[in-house]
Amino acid sequence: MENVIELQHIHKSFKGFEIKDFSINVKKGFVTGFIGGNGAGKSTTIKLIMNLLKQDSGTVSVFGMDYKKHEKDIKERIGFVYDENIFYENLTLKDMKRIIKPAYKNWDDTAFQRYVNEFELPLNKSMKTFSKGMKMKASLAIALAHHAELIIMDEPTAGLDPIFRRELLNILHELMQNEDRTIFFSTHITTDLDRIADYITFVHNGEHIFTKEFYKIEEEYAIVKGTLDLLDRETEQEFISIRKTNTGFEALTADKNRVINIFGDTVIVEKPTLEDIMYYTKKGR
Amino acid sequence: MVNLILKDIIIQKNTIIFYIATIILYLLVDVSPIFLGVLYSVVFIMTAFSTDEKGNANILLNSLPYTRKEVVSSKYMGALLFTSVIIFIIYLGDFFLNGMGEVFLWREILLIMGLVMVTISFILPISYKFKSKHLLMILVALVGLYLVTITILIPNLHDILREFVQNFLALQETQMYFVAILTTVILYIGSWLLSIRIYERKAF
Amino acid sequence: MQIIISNSSKEPIYEQIYAQIKKLILTGELQEGQALPSMRQLAKDLEISVITTKRAYEELEKNGFIYSIVGKGSFIAEQNKEMMRERKIKVIEENLLIAIQNAKEMNLSLAELKEMLTLLYTEDA
Repeated sequence: MENVIELQHIHKSFKGFEIKDFSINVKKGFVTGFIGGNGAGKSTTIKLIMNLLKQDSGTVSVFGMDYKKHEKDIKERIGFVYDENIFYENLTLKDMKRIIKPAYKNWDDTAFQRYVNEFELPLNKSMKTFSKGMKMKASLAIALAHHAELIIMDEPTAGLDPIFRRELLNILHELMQNEDRTIFFSTHITTDLDRIADYITFVHNGEHIFTKEFYKIEEEYAIVKGTLDLLDRETEQEFISIRKTNTGFEALTADKNRVINIFGDTVIVEKPTLEDIMYYTKKGR
Repeated sequence: MVNLILKDIIIQKNTIIFYIATIILYLLVDVSPIFLGVLYSVVFIMTAFSTDEKGNANILLNSLPYTRKEVVSSKYMGALLFTSVIIFIIYLGDFFLNGMGEVFLWREILLIMGLVMVTISFILPISYKFKSKHLLMILVALVGLYLVTITILIPNLHDILREFVQNFLALQETQMYFVAILTTVILYIGSWLLSIRIYERKAF
Repeated sequence: MQIIISNSSKEPIYEQIYAQIKKLILTGELQEGQALPSMRQLAKDLEISVITTKRAYEELEKNGFIYSIVGKGSFIAEQNKEMMRERKIKVIEENLLIAIQNAKEMNLSLAELKEMLTLLYTEDA
């Protein structure tokens, strides 16, 4: 399957934070949810993909092209939604359109108008009166008006109410009707991903832990609960990390079937949530 | 690139009327067109710059299909364009309000252009390197230094400056003009290249 | 085509879809040659990820229930009547085995079980 984004062996160091030999791929035609705690390197990765930040070494390739030679060709095909406000506060959405439209070769005014109507965005009110959700929708309308093939979103649902988040998911489902379209979005509200993400990319502490099909995660990983007497030096090796309390233990395994073979009916095996995986992975490192 | 220059006008569209109104007011009370030209040009250019900086406009611009080279170049090309337009407005206003008077008009225009270019050559790379809020501090320090200098060391600095302007306008030798223009252009291009270098290394 | 999925079920969502479409085919509700909704359309309608419907369709295709034509979509495959009959008989056998096992557990005799079966069979008809 074709990759839209390929980061290979990226090194980047900042004061107090470092990404080492970081590689990820994003598959074309699917939604990839990008998860990890605060400071795990999600925003840095997105900035590297957008060329807002330059790696110390390694390669970034988008649509199979690199930024040195094809910066404009690449960005022509990307739509972006950021966590922070990127609009001129005193301008209206109409003015923003006047600024952004000429930047794209394939801007489609009809499409823009259609999404503005659909999202119920006011064209003549200044951007500072827009709520966070409206700004997110405005970014999406712009992304869709130039028929972006790759939509990159940094925490699009942070600070939005549940109804708004549900609406966004409907929009994304609508967008994915086009099989050439790819969505890559970071979030730490992992329940947003249950209904939309095809792949999950998990980073922790500047390190790529995995990229997997969502259903594979549920097949491979499991939360295991049992009594403390089941644990010894050997059995503890089966888990990524273990939370022990007076009443028993709860642990995460990355090999569900093996654990079932070892412990059989003596433990309870449950489907893990992404939060479980994030929590236990962090604990185990 | 033209789009980026137009953008600098769009983001200031609400203040343009204010700029023109105050220019007329200043002309009515006979403020020197040279002073007005330099002041308004620099203010216009730098207001656009700090508006970009204040919001996350740099993130926006660099996510759009523009190269960093284009973003910087639009500022330098825009500066020349805006200065020309402002000079045009000032002299047009001056003509209607005060009538034809000046004989060596083109020398004044050249002087405004030159002064703006020299000022911008220094301000832009500093603003790209540091934040323009630091620029304000640098400016305050410079004004302080300037005040100290004129009061203690060169009490007649204003006279010297005035004399320089008079001398410049009275220069007869084309060779001198040529050297002055060449120096300014080289400075401007050097500053332009330096700003691109600084901007290309920035992280947003 | 009606499909109801449960998010709280232990059964993975793709298996739920697989089972329900299979049932619709075996009961004849979906006829040979009939088009299935596209994977992306179904994902949107069910509010689930595309890869989940993709996997369900792949399983259906692997087991001969549907076929795909690139660019056109997925269609119900021709079902071998003989094989379907055999398969159904096997299912009945399995269910009967469970009934027999339950009967044995509580010492129900074969005669009693037959009687029960006859009664239920005629009553239902």
